[in-house]
Amino acid sequence: MNICMLIFLFCLAVCMFAHGSWKGRGRRGGGFGHRHGGSMLSVDYFAYASALRKWNAVFKAVFATACLLLCIILNNIYVSILVILVMGYLTVVIGGMSFRQYLSMMLVPVVFLLLGSVAIAAGFSMEPAGQYQLRVFGLFYIYCSDASLLRAAELVLKALGAVSSLYMLTLTTPLGELITVLRKAHVPKVLVELMHMIYRYIFIMLDTHSRMKNSAESRLGYVDFKTSCYSFGQVASNLLIVSLKRGNAYYNALESRCYDGELRFLEEEKPVQGRQIALAAGFVILLFCVWLLGKYMN
Amino acid sequence: MMLKRREKLSILAFALLVVFAVAPVSNAMHIMEGYLPVTHCVLWMVVCLPFLVLGLVNIKKVLRDDRRTLMVLALTGAFVFVLSSLKIPSVTGSCSHMTGTGLGAILFGPCVTSILGVIVLLFQAVLLAHGGLTTLGANCFSMAIAGPILAYAVYKLCCKMNVNKKVTVFLAAFLGDMFTYCVTSVQLAAAYPSEVGGFGASLVKFLGIFAATQIPLAVIEGILTVVIVIALETYAKNELRSLSF
Amino acid sequence: MEWKKEKQSEKDAVLEVRDLHFSYNDEKHALNGVDVKIYEGEKIAVLGSNGAGKSTFFLSINGVLKPHAGEVIYRGEKITKKRLNHLRKNVGIVFQDADNQIIASTVMSEVAFGPMNLKLPREEVLRRVDKALDYMNITEFRDRPPHYLSGGEKKRVSIADIIAMESEVIIFDEPTAALDPLNAQMLEEVLRKMGEEGRTILISTHDVDFAYRWAERVLVFHQGKIIADDTPLRVFHQEELLKKANLRHPMLYDVCEILKKKGIIPDGEMYPKNMEEFRTMTDHL
Repeated sequence: MNICMLIFLFCLAVCMFAHGSWKGRGRRGGGFGHRHGGSMLSVDYFAYASALRKWNAVFKAVFATACLLLCIILNNIYVSILVILVMGYLTVVIGGMSFRQYLSMMLVPVVFLLLGSVAIAAGFSMEPAGQYQLRVFGLFYIYCSDASLLRAAELVLKALGAVSSLYMLTLTTPLGELITVLRKAHVPKVLVELMHMIYRYIFIMLDTHSRMKNSAESRLGYVDFKTSCYSFGQVASNLLIVSLKRGNAYYNALESRCYDGELRFLEEEKPVQGRQIALAAGFVILLFCVWLLGKYMN
Repeated sequence: MMLKRREKLSILAFALLVVFAVAPVSNAMHIMEGYLPVTHCVLWMVVCLPFLVLGLVNIKKVLRDDRRTLMVLALTGAFVFVLSSLKIPSVTGSCSHMTGTGLGAILFGPCVTSILGVIVLLFQAVLLAHGGLTTLGANCFSMAIAGPILAYAVYKLCCKMNVNKKVTVFLAAFLGDMFTYCVTSVQLAAAYPSEVGGFGASLVKFLGIFAATQIPLAVIEGILTVVIVIALETYAKNELRSLSF
Repeated sequence: MEWKKEKQSEKDAVLEVRDLHFSYNDEKHALNGVDVKIYEGEKIAVLGSNGAGKSTFFLSINGVLKPHAGEVIYRGEKITKKRLNHLRKNVGIVFQDADNQIIASTVMSEVAFGPMNLKLPREEVLRRVDKALDYMNITEFRDRPPHYLSGGEKKRVSIADIIAMESEVIIFDEPTAALDPLNAQMLEEVLRKMGEEGRTILISTHDVDFAYRWAERVLVFHQGKIIADDTPLRVFHQEELLKKANLRHPMLYDVCEILKKKGIIPDGEMYPKNMEEFRTMTDHL
């Protein structure tokens, strides 16, 4: 059962690493176009830069969802590992994302993963239980059993498999195209329109916010915790006020181009290649085979 | 044999130490992608459905009267997202985020917050990698429905009882956050009951471990919400009127 | 003057505005009785201080704001509520802040937004998008999201938006504000191209030098009214008017006045509009 311990330690190491790499997120990477400091979302940026962007969005969405669901439903370590590897390969090697950036993305949910897994792996009781225990203040025991460690490790891999499938979709497909997929899936029109508008306004607001924040910072608005809280609140409320005031201008601009209450966007049609479908189907079948094999072996 | 066990014990102790040391880095209480079994994912989505339908009907009614409200809704949705993506000030210098649920509930009421909440959660999953698609239902229930409803109830109750405005807003945001954290712990415990002690023991574990990150966060969120709401009420009474649906 | 001659042939008026009134929140009148006729192929500069009613006027002749009194007539047809889209289709506005205008998440679907609203067939929409992108020289941005474009690039996209609508009249609301010199030059280049094609263009601006060298006709707004409607030269001759509307003389105009006073160049109707004309004028000395 040392493997479980190793996995657990590995998670810890990864977590410590995350501490460092988290802060530099979004600053790296050569770029196209024009960027404002601090006002961008790295996932969105990666999605536009990915070579997989050329693929049909519906195909990617269906494939990623299928792999994601299989990871969760089959709940098999080998299936999870296979999905992590293949999805990583698609995103990094074919999509052309740098491995360092991919790793730093994989580390985003690591704290949740770690805390949640500790809660599952470790238990407490009045009497010694499990294979490993630790006595706290002579009051109760925190214990770990091989079974619970294995369960936690399975869960960690399963979650990472699911996350890598999700990333294969989100790190290669701009959100605008994903919203179009939702429209095709008959999500109510109001929601789809709201999403389109929200997506666009997020970037305008991030831009406005970074300007406001800089101006507050230049006047020592963030010297200590108390001032920081005050400045944060002031900037945030100001952001909402300014945006609402601009709302009328946005609507006028829409109306001036014959907007009549329904947003119509031209969607580019990216064809799906037969080869892609065949390979995707093959992979899904392979996952099933691995699962069956694992069942048979047990 | 004895030595080996002690070795493992010390590793375990060290692990716990590290966990609590890094704890404040955590984001808000998003259950990550792939963390819940399929049955639970589906169950929570179904639980959310009636609330979302209610919110949708409500929004459609508002839009029929005035199409321009769509713009206001979109802007507030974008605002909640941006707010949740910003690093908030914290004592330890780590990075954490607001949930914005309390603020949303106070400004727009729980119905609209549920719809904006589900969109914001989806965007967080896609753009920030907080939360996930399969866990959308569970996250939606804890953050866009349960939290806001409690925050709204606390807010209305305190308003009726003529409690000081700042205290009212703080309590609403703080308790909304705490409730979200409790609901998330329940969701996790239901999915992963303990070997010994079952659901109850597991719930205590999740509550205990996430308390380290969530209680300070809820306090900060409460303070920030007070600052924001007071500023809005001082400078933007007119704009606020357009928000009350 | 030339445009006065055209004025006599009533049929040519593209757009006519009669006694237009508009107010926000029933307080101050943003437009207080505006009468104007706009003819095909005119290059009109709209001057006036902030809050004089320029933007309100633009939104009214585009059909976004519904006037409280008065009427807008497009090609002899009075615009009623049902025909608003007809007006919006034929009169396009390039807004001052491109971020306020851009709505879609790729340049292609942004430029296609107007044509899509006109419910044109897909092939036609694509044809117009390609044409507009080519016109503005931004074909390479086709698949990019607007939020990774610079201010000048966004401005080009917002102009392409209107070109794709194939509007008859194009309005620019303070286009040079917030543009760097290079992009401002690009804009003038585009305006020159449009002028050569005989499009009708209205531009609001605070840059009198630009108005002087580019426009054929100047409208001056003051407190919701048009207080002057003439050639640039005649408008800048009227000291009282300039004072009232808080305008100053164009640089070249002042230079010529000084040279005339000093007797270096002869008196008369000789006023060069740009450096090129000034150079040829001084060559004769």
